[in-house]
Amino acid sequence: MALTLLRGMRTSIPFRSNSGMFFTVLRPQLSRFTTRATESAQATEPKAAPKSIQLATKEAAEQKTQGFEAVIGIETHVQLSTVTKAFCSCPYNYGSQPNSTICPTCMGHPGTLPVLNEKVIECAVKLGLALNCEISMTSKFDRKQYFYPDLPKGYQISQFDIPIAKKGYVDLDLPVEFGGGHRKFGITRVHMEEDAGKLLHSESGSYSQVDLNRAGVPLLEIVSEPDMRTGIEAAEYGAELQRIVRYLGVSNGNMQEGSLRCDVNVSVRPVGQSEFGTKVEIKNMNSFSEINRAIDYEISRQILLHKEGQADQIVQETRLWDESSQKTFTMRKKEGLADYRYFPEPDLPEVVLTADYIDEISKSMPELPEAKRRRYENMGLSMQDVLFLANDDNVAHFFDSTLEHGADAKLACNWIMGDIAAYLKNEKLSINETKLTPLELSELIASIKNGTISGKIGKEILVELIAKGGTVKGVIEEKDLVQIADPAAIEAMVDKVIADNPKQLEQYRAGKTKLQGFFAGQVMKASKGKANPVLLNKILGEKLNAN
Amino acid sequence: MLSVAASAIPRLRLAAPPRPRLPPARTHWLRPLSSATQVPPAAAAGAPGSLEPPDLPRLASAARISLSPQEAEELEPKIRQFVDWFGQLQAVDLESIEPSIRAGTAAGSSLREDKPEAFVNRDAIVEAIPSYDEPYIKVPRVLNKE
Repeated sequence: MALTLLRGMRTSIPFRSNSGMFFTVLRPQLSRFTTRATESAQATEPKAAPKSIQLATKEAAEQKTQGFEAVIGIETHVQLSTVTKAFCSCPYNYGSQPNSTICPTCMGHPGTLPVLNEKVIECAVKLGLALNCEISMTSKFDRKQYFYPDLPKGYQISQFDIPIAKKGYVDLDLPVEFGGGHRKFGITRVHMEEDAGKLLHSESGSYSQVDLNRAGVPLLEIVSEPDMRTGIEAAEYGAELQRIVRYLGVSNGNMQEGSLRCDVNVSVRPVGQSEFGTKVEIKNMNSFSEINRAIDYEISRQILLHKEGQADQIVQETRLWDESSQKTFTMRKKEGLADYRYFPEPDLPEVVLTADYIDEISKSMPELPEAKRRRYENMGLSMQDVLFLANDDNVAHFFDSTLEHGADAKLACNWIMGDIAAYLKNEKLSINETKLTPLELSELIASIKNGTISGKIGKEILVELIAKGGTVKGVIEEKDLVQIADPAAIEAMVDKVIADNPKQLEQYRAGKTKLQGFFAGQVMKASKGKANPVLLNKILGEKLNAN
Repeated sequence: MLSVAASAIPRLRLAAPPRPRLPPARTHWLRPLSSATQVPPAAAAGAPGSLEPPDLPRLASAARISLSPQEAEELEPKIRQFVDWFGQLQAVDLESIEPSIRAGTAAGSSLREDKPEAFVNRDAIVEAIPSYDEPYIKVPRVLNKE
């Protein structure tokens, strides 16, 4: 919705100089980030030759875009997880009976007055700080007027010329499988506003249906600078915002429920041109991978039109992403600028913040995804590990507590990314919904490290702990799982297996040495998986090769 | 209703006639208050204290009011008086005045705790809905028209 707002700003005199400045700054900025990304990747993964991978993907992308570059900006609406609405005390719960949580204020009845929920300001300041923004000590609300049946008052209470936060940036790391790299994208502004109701278009009927439960629910709108160039950059920007709002606890960031909605603006221009091309808005993307694909589709569509000399066919419009056909379709053409006739909301006082208030919030801020990633990177974890752990607040927390109990970072990470993640995926659980505790994971790692149990037994114990709970010690005792590390005991088992398999022994001694694996398997089986594998192989080798 | 209001427009009295000068730069934010958002800045800032005359058909359509051409003609001078009044406000010398974002209202905190309170008389609200189709509000068919 702020699309037109921004457009209006760019054309107005005080902002034009601003956007001009942006171009001169942008290019050196981007090249700096690329360099930094390459450096950090080299530092962490010296073997993987990341430079060549990155160059390769960059070249491939350039070849595909053939002298054109895409410019992408994103408007994100985040629904706040407050208990009540922004301006009245109605509770809000997703999925409630339609029109059950409504009152005269959110229904826009005459004579009602809005009273701002203090939590909305707290959330806005938290997000503003997390996005490295300047916080406006004084801001105000404005009325944005338009007629639509999901908007009972005929205007949306929003913030127009003085948003609560502005001029920030967000840092992120692209996934390794997409070539990796560190990026920094500018945040133009963050402002507070209220959501509209939900409009349902009955397919057969000649009327539409409105549910006003959502009317008046607080939103934060985050407007990015047009700093993104590819679908994956845009998708990762969205994913990073989702991580940040979840880390902060200001929103559940759920895209399917519409708690996080991204409207993407895409334009294409010949490389080297400073003016933007005509921008097209894309809506209706329900996941970050859809954002990625929708943008890449739209970029190729626009480049193709440019190359065919039909650039004039690119018009300012809203297009919808259609997941089934993997294409974007015209939803509506923009007919001139919408005139929202903004004016200051007379029913609400200005929002005045104190330095103490902001200080208090800054002190209460959790460690954010970017800081977490850099900390994990410094532990020597690979970028893939770092991104996995920092992706989910709960996983990162679990990992951190496991380390607090003395576990080795790489080993703890391997368990979490391997067996634990596989189990969670299978059972569709989150890490804090299982019975496994960080303390027991650290115990498990320690028991393997000190030789009490083998790695293989460790995996069995993990399944037990994660499903039923209990302690590592308890499971080891109960199931008699202590590793057999007594050479005499292992030797006895080896002798028995060799004696039981004379045919294989003959073949082995005739040169089929691969059969050592067979013997090792038989011994391991005989020990119920408890034999120390290193010791086993050593003794077995000696016995097989002895004449 | 409009004509009643229009007949009672107060004239702003200035202590001294405005000096002929360009309006201060920050008066630009006042412009969206008029209907003249699409007017090039030069036009609006042309003569001190004068604003673009109101475009009645456009205002009526923005307010979703139907006006016959005759009504529009009748109302035009009355609306113009409103606009002119803002024109006079624009001309006031504010150079030495600290900008205020908006008029202050209640002193102290006017915020609300995030505590839910369900509205007790929901039945009365539902009753007041002109067209209700349990559990939805029924409205004429709309398809992405702004």
